[in-house]
Amino acid sequence: MSTHSDTHEHHHAPGLQHQFEDMKQQEESVSIGMWMFLVQEIMFFGGLFTVYLVFRSKYPMAFAAGSNHLDAFLGGLNTLVLIVSSLTMALTVYYAQKGNRNMQVILIVLTMIFGATFLGVKAIEYADKYNHGLVPVTGLNKKIKEEKKGEHGVGHETGHEKPCYDVDHNAPVVEHPNPKGEFLWTDCSLAKLGLDTNTLTTDEKNGYFSNEQIDADKFRDKVRIFFWIYFVMTGLHALHMIIGLGLMAWLGWKAFRNTYSAEYYMPVEMSGLYWHFVDIVWIFLFPLLYLLGRHFLH
Amino acid sequence: MQTQEAIVQGLAAEPKLNYLTNGWTIKSWLLTKDHKRIAIMYLISVSVFFFMGGLYAGAIRLELLTPASDLLESGTYNKVFTQHGILMIFFFLIPSIPAILGNFLLPLMIGAKDLALPRINLLSLYIYWAGGALVLFALMQGGIDTGWTFYAPYSTTFSNTYVMLVGLGIFINGFSSILTGLNFIVTIHTMRAPGMTWFRLPLFVWAHYATSLVMILGTPVIAITILLLALERVGKIGIFDPSIGGDPILFQHLFWFYSHPAVYIMILPGMGVISELISNFSRKKIFGYEFIAFSSIAIAVFGFLVWGHHMFISGQSMYAGLVFSFLTMVVAVPSAIKVFNWTATLYKGSITFDTPMLYALGFLGLFLIGGLTGLFLGAMGLTVHLTDTYFIVAHFHYVMVGGQVIAYLGGIHYWWPKMTGKMYSEFWGKISAMLIFVGFNLTFFPQFILGYLGMPRRYASYPEELQVLNIFSTAGASVLGVGLLMPVVYLGHSLIFGKAAGDNPWMLPGLEWRTASPPPTENFEKMPVVTWEAYEFGEENGLDLEGARKRDAEAIPTT
Repeated sequence: MSTHSDTHEHHHAPGLQHQFEDMKQQEESVSIGMWMFLVQEIMFFGGLFTVYLVFRSKYPMAFAAGSNHLDAFLGGLNTLVLIVSSLTMALTVYYAQKGNRNMQVILIVLTMIFGATFLGVKAIEYADKYNHGLVPVTGLNKKIKEEKKGEHGVGHETGHEKPCYDVDHNAPVVEHPNPKGEFLWTDCSLAKLGLDTNTLTTDEKNGYFSNEQIDADKFRDKVRIFFWIYFVMTGLHALHMIIGLGLMAWLGWKAFRNTYSAEYYMPVEMSGLYWHFVDIVWIFLFPLLYLLGRHFLH
Repeated sequence: MQTQEAIVQGLAAEPKLNYLTNGWTIKSWLLTKDHKRIAIMYLISVSVFFFMGGLYAGAIRLELLTPASDLLESGTYNKVFTQHGILMIFFFLIPSIPAILGNFLLPLMIGAKDLALPRINLLSLYIYWAGGALVLFALMQGGIDTGWTFYAPYSTTFSNTYVMLVGLGIFINGFSSILTGLNFIVTIHTMRAPGMTWFRLPLFVWAHYATSLVMILGTPVIAITILLLALERVGKIGIFDPSIGGDPILFQHLFWFYSHPAVYIMILPGMGVISELISNFSRKKIFGYEFIAFSSIAIAVFGFLVWGHHMFISGQSMYAGLVFSFLTMVVAVPSAIKVFNWTATLYKGSITFDTPMLYALGFLGLFLIGGLTGLFLGAMGLTVHLTDTYFIVAHFHYVMVGGQVIAYLGGIHYWWPKMTGKMYSEFWGKISAMLIFVGFNLTFFPQFILGYLGMPRRYASYPEELQVLNIFSTAGASVLGVGLLMPVVYLGHSLIFGKAAGDNPWMLPGLEWRTASPPPTENFEKMPVVTWEAYEFGEENGLDLEGARKRDAEAIPTT
């Protein structure tokens, strides 16, 4: 910034805004701004990760139990989809810098397809939770009318009393009556496992047991906290994905109009940073939610 | 010299459009990208919230005039102090100096045409309006009674007031503050004029850099916390509910992780203003520039490590308390460095007692008391006696009002001629500054004693033997109220009847004084080139200030 000419002598590059002297200054500003935005995003998700950390260290068995009801295959598939979408995004930036319109449009469409695939798989997972009574909010689960008493499960007397028993994970899943759409959880095997080997922490003992007896309601509440955190974290992540798809649509339209060139490609690069950031959040979410604790059962 | 010539030419030529006259339509204001216009719109909106919050404060003081809960019943009183807190903190203190003075002055001080991201700047104003409108709507519906701290599980499970709406308003408003901070950091990094090195930046800019760091790193955490709280109210299940194994203390940790650094959002910009005022009205280079600059950064960093001192009696681990107590003492050091440096700057300076300087000197005393009583509260043993009493209330009002509000008013008076091109009545300015100082002390000093005697905060009634001090406090509040209303009158008056201020009414070397008052939309006629250090008085910086002052005195006979 050693030499400076008057503004009216300036040759205006495409996309240069009035407050900047030259393209380099604009690029620097936009780039620092985006990184600052991502820092703020990290702190935003950081609060959630802290919440996860606190409760997982408090109730690890309940978290393992909840974690085992997530589909690690679908989660893994989604991880793969997102990583590939990051590749197509990075290539989009490359071709924007080359000014190659067709490749940009193709790659943006591909990125969008991958993003939509991710959301689709997520929807399948959510639907599965809905059907099995694993949404932590009462009333948001599938409402299943009560049939004949005692038909399902062992010792199932009324719909309101949900006892603990060991679930055979290879047996076909039975539908439990759930007239109010409550959070449904009957499998306390992990807590029992902890009791046998006496590896539970004080927090867990207070959290799962009443009078030395396993308390189905108390254990269910802790698993419910896991699913609450699961839905908040993945929900906010999905919201970021949807915003990302909106960005991609806008970017695709601009690329189609041949806006970007070697001189002006910052919007592509910045949207790319955002897209990669959202991917990275998932890279952390996947192991924390789907994988930790699997060794207790598998 | 270039700039001086430009000013002389500017005076001779036809009057040019400044940022106020460049477009008269409402659209030209609402869709502006000009940081100065956005600052003016912030000034108006923030003032509205300030006076609303002030009305609630008046209601509190009136209720506490008598020991019985007679003017307001307890439930209403809970709402009144909650809304006083929410309006003052989230909608006045946090945006006050950064969004008004920072927005207006940052580009002028570093020689830029605008902030780096003008559209983001406008967006932050709209977000502020949206958040504010939601909160106002909630207040009209019946308000909220949780205290501004929203402690769970009362806020999540039991309160049947409008916690959701207010929470949503604050959640939205948070992004306004994040975007402002983001914009400032980018601007300071990339938009400095040639020659404006980091150590030539006015200390106001350093203070805003530190503030912006806190805004970016802290505010998202309160956003997610409030979101979790709101979701918990909707879902009737969540992580803060102890009856299912959730943790209400976790809410306090998350809340104070933002809200303690937030008190530095509320004081750092004020410190920046005071650095300007002290140095400029002593007409002396500030003492220990680097120390003041880096102490701002140190406050921003250490401010993130002390949140636990709000939770000494909450049930957090005693060892955590010890660490937090120690770190609280540590964070007092950079604040003390600033106060010492300001005092040293005054030494042998050519001090003039203009209105802004009165505010600055008031700040020094009040902030000193506010800061030192903070150390009382940071000491783990003493805090058991003092916590949740009026001692706390007095302490944070000494810092927030005695610090930030006084600095804000000082800054508004100091830059008023630059913002409007008009000079206010110096006489009424001084009267109001002194009234505010006296009224403030009369209001809040008795509260230290009340707190020490054990009067708890947040109650509508109190034992009869405490009435005398409460009457002092309420009387002081009336004086303070009058003092705060006066600027509205004489500043408003000056807009129409005030005499033209000239480009550099205080004869100062800062870059913002080297352009027209009010500045043109693009801020400077030519890109300025900075060849002088910050706060350098004298001829060698390109402006013969003393000479100009003499000429001024000869040209305009004093009446």
